[in-house]
Amino acid sequence: MRLCGAAITIETLIAHNVSDVFGYPGGQVLNIYDELYKRSDKIRHILSCHEQGAAHAADGYARSAGIPGVVIATSGPGATNLVTGIATAYLDSSPLIAITGNVSSTLIGKDSFQEVDIAGITMPVTKHNYIVKRVEDLEDVLCEAFQIAVSGRPGPVLIDITKDAQTGETEFRGGLPKPAFAAASPKADAIRAAAALIEKSEKPYIYCGGGVIASGAGALLADFANKIDAPVGFSMMGLSAMDYKNPRKLGMTGMHGTYPAIKMNEQADLIIAVGVRFSDRATGNKEAYQKNTKIVHIDVDDAEINKNINCDVDIVGNLNVSLSELIKAVKECKHGDWNGLAEQFKREVTFAEGFNPRSIIREVRKHTDADTIIATDVGQHQMWTAQYYEFSNPRTFLTSGGLGTMGFGMGAAIGASIAHGGARTVLFTGDGSFHMNLNEFATAVRYNLPIVVIVMNNNVLGMVRQWQTLFYEKRYSQTEMDRVTDYVKLAEAFGGTGYKAETLDELQKSLEAAFASDAPVIIDCVIGRDEMVLPMIPAGGSYAEAIYSL
Amino acid sequence: MEIQNFTLSIIVTNKAGVLSRVIGLFSKRGYNIDTLYVGPKVEDPRHSRIIMTSSGDDATREQIIKQLRKIFDVQEVKLI
Repeated sequence: MRLCGAAITIETLIAHNVSDVFGYPGGQVLNIYDELYKRSDKIRHILSCHEQGAAHAADGYARSAGIPGVVIATSGPGATNLVTGIATAYLDSSPLIAITGNVSSTLIGKDSFQEVDIAGITMPVTKHNYIVKRVEDLEDVLCEAFQIAVSGRPGPVLIDITKDAQTGETEFRGGLPKPAFAAASPKADAIRAAAALIEKSEKPYIYCGGGVIASGAGALLADFANKIDAPVGFSMMGLSAMDYKNPRKLGMTGMHGTYPAIKMNEQADLIIAVGVRFSDRATGNKEAYQKNTKIVHIDVDDAEINKNINCDVDIVGNLNVSLSELIKAVKECKHGDWNGLAEQFKREVTFAEGFNPRSIIREVRKHTDADTIIATDVGQHQMWTAQYYEFSNPRTFLTSGGLGTMGFGMGAAIGASIAHGGARTVLFTGDGSFHMNLNEFATAVRYNLPIVVIVMNNNVLGMVRQWQTLFYEKRYSQTEMDRVTDYVKLAEAFGGTGYKAETLDELQKSLEAAFASDAPVIIDCVIGRDEMVLPMIPAGGSYAEAIYSL
Repeated sequence: MEIQNFTLSIIVTNKAGVLSRVIGLFSKRGYNIDTLYVGPKVEDPRHSRIIMTSSGDDATREQIIKQLRKIFDVQEVKLI
């Protein structure tokens, strides 16, 4: 069958079971949008307010559903507006497919209207990218893009298609998906060496990362923890890999980790790191981190081994295979005293009463269930959510971990809701982050998505201000925003509903109304500007230097 | 951590932009390129060979090789 490049693009997406795409039309993707129009029975397009929002939505779709998310944008500014979204997906290993149009191949390199070298721009923030100038190459490239995005450690792939490659015709062969590249098999001697270290350890600590979620290995990880009787700390990206009811779960570790996770991590004689990359936010001072402990590093990406932290044993391969083999190889262990210590640390934690970030999060949790997807933006509210929200199921926590993208959440919440048939989704955000991409609230209204936006409103840029409080002698340079935004009116102006809560009682009533509604709601939660995120390991500091109270 | 010079032979697919990817990796991750030679692989024009000398300690060298192998269009990386 002979088709034009634009039709080949859409038919190849359909052949890859893509049912929803996010994006924004423009001059150099007119042909693609024309084909979308014709195939709207098979593929739905979600129109955002800004290409960045569409990129975050496609990313949120991918993270929550575990399949690639697709975003389409035009050339020039449309393409550059995707860049933050693509970089966000890259740092968190999310399989995003970004399709951009470009000017005709004869106009490339002439500084034509809305021409930009998006392949050049995104080279450092994509797993791979393409510029397609010949329609004959298009089908193969699109299929290969999906293959690359999902194989091994997932990541974003960009395909830039010139106008003439969209309009030109060629034979279409069905756009059938290519199988994922096979991951390396874990080496038997590495499994044996890891098992020996684990059996010798008296204080083993499992450090679980986003790779466990990406490979669907959460249940295996819990089995592994049971067999070696070890507590489990989490990177922020790995947090939803285990049910909060599992007593082994210590919560997030690292800079703003929980007290038990930090204390146990600090005292462990063996860290078994699974699907992590030892981010500086997780390790703090690298020398101190590995000084008194052995490290087993298990990951699918060989280049992560010894990149940030030198390990004693590495197991490279698909996590499901590696964990299964390790469970088989290792003898059952018992560490009663060590786990007792974790329980003691858990009991030592106390919390303030009243209308504060923790009580807001706990109140919201009463209205959500184990499957409710939670998105966040970036800053204090994000850390509070990671610390206090009780996650049960993998892929229910969508947050920008690596890049730390303020403005990620609104798009991500939309993408997650779309991926789950218009499901209820909650966005925890701050007044700083929310202002970055709140235009996408209009998108949520347009598609009637039941997204509850909880704005932790302290009228300051809380996380940066916290650093200024602690390390810059309270010189609050440009962090006290003192905006007068009325979130209730804002919600109404966009066609949604808004509530304001200054007490737990008001929050309760607002939440009841919000969760009874099928439409988007904003709840403005007014909190104090001096609320801090604690514990805090100062940047570059060691676990021993963690600040627990002020 | 002793800094040493080493030479890499990198076989890449002969496609536009491949050299940018290889060079971009070095600038992105702060590795050194001391000398660089690029030419077609005589016996196989679909591939090109990059010969590069670089410098760094053992850990850096190991990282360079692994990161190069992750580039989709890189077919082979050898220390020579």
